[in-house]
Parts: sequence; C-alpha cells; structure tokens
Amino acid sequence: MNESTQQQVFEIIAKQAKIDTATITPESTLKDLGIESLEAIELIFDIEEHFDITFPDQQGANFDKDTAQSLVDAVQTALDGKAAAGEGSQ
Amino acid sequence: MPNVSTRRVVITGMGAISALGVGAEALWQGLREGRSGIGPLRHQDAARVRVKVAAQVPESFDPAAGIDERTLTQLDRTSEFALHAADEAIQQSGLDFSKEVGARTAVIVGTGVGGETTQDEQSRRLYAENATRVHPLSIVRVMTNASASQISIKYGLRGPTFAVASACASANHAIIQAAQMIRYGLADTAITGGTEACISYVVLRGWEAMRVLADDTCRPFSINRRGLVLGEGAGIFVLESLEHAQARGATILAELAGGGMTADATDIVMPSADGAASAMTQALDEAGLAPEDVDYINAHGTGTQANDATETKAIRLAFGAHADRLAVSSTKSMHGHALGASGALELVAVVNAMRYGIVPPTANLDQADPACDLDYVPNVARDMPVRAALSNSFAFGGLNAVLALKHAP
Repeated sequence: MNESTQQQVFEIIAKQAKIDTATITPESTLKDLGIESLEAIELIFDIEEHFDITFPDQQGANFDKDTAQSLVDAVQTALDGKAAAGEGSQ
Repeated sequence: MPNVSTRRVVITGMGAISALGVGAEALWQGLREGRSGIGPLRHQDAARVRVKVAAQVPESFDPAAGIDERTLTQLDRTSEFALHAADEAIQQSGLDFSKEVGARTAVIVGTGVGGETTQDEQSRRLYAENATRVHPLSIVRVMTNASASQISIKYGLRGPTFAVASACASANHAIIQAAQMIRYGLADTAITGGTEACISYVVLRGWEAMRVLADDTCRPFSINRRGLVLGEGAGIFVLESLEHAQARGATILAELAGGGMTADATDIVMPSADGAASAMTQALDEAGLAPEDVDYINAHGTGTQANDATETKAIRLAFGAHADRLAVSSTKSMHGHALGASGALELVAVVNAMRYGIVPPTANLDQADPACDLDYVPNVARDMPVRAALSNSFAFGGLNAVLALKHAP
C-alpha cells in the first residue's frame, strides 16, 4: 500500500462529505464535517468496500462523537485482524 | 373536515401468524407471559450473514393447511401468512359473505415491500445460476397487492381492494384506511391488517448494512438496547360498522374509534417527536378521547437508540402530565419488528389488553435509560383495566400512523 491508511480514509471521507481532504484533521468529528446519520452509514460502506473489511455491527452507533481518527483506528484494527486471520475473509 | 355523518367502526374478528405461533391466541399467550419469539436466525444463508437473531414464524406453521394446491402455488410467504390470518379472523367474526355482504366488503392489507422471498429466489436463479427462466407465477406472487387479492378471491369480497405501503407503518395505515371506508359509507365491512415475510438474504444484508439490527435481542427503552430484531408474520382483522355488527348479533372485540396519520417531512430515517405526537393527537381527536381517558399505549418501540428516545418525547408532547400515568409497552421485544405487519400484530395485543384487563410487558428491559422515562411495564404483564388505548407505528420515510381503540360498546 502506497498511501497511509489515514490518507485513504480521509480521501473517502472527503469524497462523501464533498470537501477538500486538507480540511480534515484527526480530531474532526463526522458531525463537524457535515456528515449526517445516513451519510455516515454510506461512508462506513465505502470504507468497508475499499479495504475489504467488515466493521463490527455496533461500530457507528455514535457518529456524532466519532472522529476521523477513530475511523482510521477502526480500519487499522480490522486490517490487523484480517492479516492475523490469514487470507480468508468473508 | 366537511360536516358529514360518520359511522362507528368495531372489530369483530382477528387472526395472526407470528414468531409466537399460529393464531391470535398463541400470540396473545406469548405476550401476556412476557415470552420472546426471538431466536437464532434460521435461513439457508445464516452462516454468511452477521445477523444472528430473528423473530421467525415457527417451522410448525403449515402453509398448505386449508389452502388448495392451485392457490398455494400462487402464493409468496407474505400471502400465505395473510390468508391464514384472514381465515382465522373471518371465522371468529362469523360473517357470511354471500349476496350483498361480499359486495360491500373492502380488503385493504398493508405490506412494507410484498413478495421479497420470491423476488430474491428468482433473482438468484437468474444472476447466480444463469438460468434464463423464472417461475411463471413470479409476478403474481411478488406484487404488493397479492395478499389483498387472494383474500378477496377466496371469500368473494368485491368492495374496494388494494394494498397500502408505508414501510413499518403499513398495517396501521391500511387499518385506518379500511376504517374510513366504513366510517364514510363506502363499505359496511372490511378485512384489513398487515403482512410481511422479509427474512430473505437480500433483505438481511440490507438491514445489516444500515447497522440498526441488534446482535443479541430486542431491548426497547433499555439503555443497553442495540437495535431492532427483524420479525415476520401477519395480523388480519374484520371491521364492521357498529350497526352492521349489532344487527347480526356479532361479538364485538373493541371499537376502532380513531386514527391519526402524519408525515414528519424532515429526514428519511431519523424520527421526529413532533410528527409522531401530532399523529397521536389526531387519533385522540377523531376518537373523541381526552389524554386522561387513555390507559395504555402500545409503542412503536423498535429498540433503536433513535426511536425509543424520540417516541418517549412524542408521548410527553401529546399527553402532557398524563404521560406519567400511562402504561406504555413495546411488544416488539417479543414478536420482533415485522415491518409492514407490526401494527397488526400489535393491535392483537391492544384489543386483548382491553378485553382481558392485562397489559403485555416490554420484555428485556433491564436497565433504565434517563432518555426513556415513562412506565414501560418492564418484563411482567400487568393486570389493570384499559378503557382506551393507542397503538403507534412510525416508519422510515417519516410516516406516522396511530390507532385509537375503545372498549367494545
């Protein structure tokens, strides 16, 4: 992977929120970025598709409070879990 | 509203198929015992999906019982549920539809989507198995009006007959529509309710992607609630004008005294307290009820974070100080969220709460939520007289439909 996970996640967020990637900081909450509940669900879907990962179901119960960094961390956790489980994925 | 003379509408029959079993009685027994019909998901693709639990009609349900083979092949699971529930309701009512009664009977059945299982199976044939042919009765199985039409054909019912679709409020919208047909003289009797058979692979994946499904069970109004649990089934009712029921000496189960229908006009999924409250107020007004006359509300109570807190606010808006004196319960904790059928299953609960003076509980409510501060009748049914009651249904799309029930006159 050439780009960092953070960079890739920020690009997906920027596309969903229709904003410049540069305006996103790790501390930005999805709410700050103007992403509302249904868009957040789409965002999660886009991230899952991009990384070929599956977030746990309760991920995303708190989009108002979740930050961009927490999404990056969740992606990293899922990627680590996938690597540990070998090539097999759902 | 124009000043027209209106008729009173009563319920003289009810039938149900649900996770708690075959028949309105099986549903009621489960609810009054606080027994949950939620269990491990049974589906050929269960191992592939993250959904772990559902409130499914038990395998003991025999779709073929009492239905001839030629009809059976025309039916999606939604219509199987609806026909069986209709048989039960009509039998209880004792109505004879020969001659004029059939011509003056409406059939209005709600469903969220219609024949999803058929749609899914036939799509699988085409896309996954590269088949070129689908079953020739696919269209008549899938169409949303299939259930209403099948009931009409079986009993020779020739009045206004159609489906009503408003997602999770479909049954309540259908029941209100049927009551209005009678109230305003377009029909004397009506068969109405809701049906849904939504446990298909595509639908499970769809709900999974929305991230509103609980992975443990349905815990309405509990702070540890984790979402809704999909259910399935049907509830069907016989409605009549009061004079029609009295003239033939029918046993009246309850009066369907009013209905309220509003739209939030805000968000496609996030509920609004104002929209829900105004539907409740409308239902009270049509029924001629003051807030103080109501003893019980069967809540929409899905078990999602958003619904339960917003519905609590809405009940406070509509009922003011009386909200603290209401018994409010969500029976979805036991029969699951049967989407377009849910209001109909819940009406069985409301009618019997009034008949027997027993309010069914909210199951799985073990941790109070400060945002949900009403009396939700946690876990154990309560003996108490119910003079009048509301039944709430709120749908994705911001649609609200509320029924107001009174004791049989």
